[in-house]
Amino acid sequence: MATTKTYEEERAGYYKVLVGLLVLTAVTLIQPTMFLENATFGVQMLIGVIKAWMIVMYYMHMKGEKLIGASVIFAMFLVAFFFVIVMIDVNHFQFGDVSHITSEVTSAGGSSATDH
Amino acid sequence: MSDHPYVPEIAVDREGNEYEVQGWQGDFFGGKFGFWLFMLTEIMMFGAMFMVLTYYFTLHHDDFINASASLNRTLGGFNTVVLLISALTMGLGLLKMRHGDVKGAKLMIWATILLAIVFLGVKAVEWTAEYNHGVFLGLPALQGGLPESKPFGEIMFFGMYFTMTGLHGVHIIIGIGLMLWLLKRINAEKVTPEHYILHFNLALYWDLVHLIWVFVFPYYYMIGAGLSTGGH
Repeated sequence: MATTKTYEEERAGYYKVLVGLLVLTAVTLIQPTMFLENATFGVQMLIGVIKAWMIVMYYMHMKGEKLIGASVIFAMFLVAFFFVIVMIDVNHFQFGDVSHITSEVTSAGGSSATDH
Repeated sequence: MSDHPYVPEIAVDREGNEYEVQGWQGDFFGGKFGFWLFMLTEIMMFGAMFMVLTYYFTLHHDDFINASASLNRTLGGFNTVVLLISALTMGLGLLKMRHGDVKGAKLMIWATILLAIVFLGVKAVEWTAEYNHGVFLGLPALQGGLPESKPFGEIMFFGMYFTMTGLHGVHIIIGIGLMLWLLKRINAEKVTPEHYILHFNLALYWDLVHLIWVFVFPYYYMIGAGLSTGGH
């Protein structure tokens, strides 16, 4: 791994990222009761994405990696693509009355989803 | 390094010309790229699990919030910090190795192993408490159709929780084993400041384990944090 930084400079970089990650972890822990209480899920995932970006870029040395970076982006795109498809599907869920993945099945026979 | 003399492998083309087959053991980028491809399969596997989780979270929003509220955020938060510091020790170990401080690198790997064991110990305490509260795979509360069954969405939540944190725990155990192997390779001088791709890739693996937890923790422990003061 080619680098022009000295040992001390690289070590300082590791500690800076650590402090950033600790601060974000603290925000993760206090957010649900301190601010944006109605948007907890979105805020938590946003903090997660920022932390993930810091880990990938600095701890996993992704900065400046073109081929590997493109591969990671492609894999993330695949996951995101299927995520979007699934979310569109689940937001237009049509089979709640007869489905075994929803809480109550009230169709003929009167079986419960929890029977399965 | 090796006790055996180097014997080149020869490939012959159709015209009978001989070529020496190049060894790729010293190909740092190739080793790194290959390991990244493996890690991408891990990302897609856990990505699929998160997709399932999101699917059921959308269908059973309130049940998921209630179930999340009952998890122990103190222990989960403690483990988050433990894993975060272990990622630092692993990174510093690699840094020391690259700069020739082999002894310091080994010390950092041992520190990472210790923190990994602490993580597993806390997880064991947490799971034991959940078992004692009747919330565990196979117990009546998480089986359908019984008087003591939890609501369907909560059954799904806890099923995914034990599956994903369990799989994450398996990755931690594998990581400990790999780090012990790395120490053995360092002691045998197979991993050195000049040839450290194994150490580099294991540091990547440990960062991936950390990365997965970065999303597992808020998704399971924090989404219901506004509701509750307790935990198992």
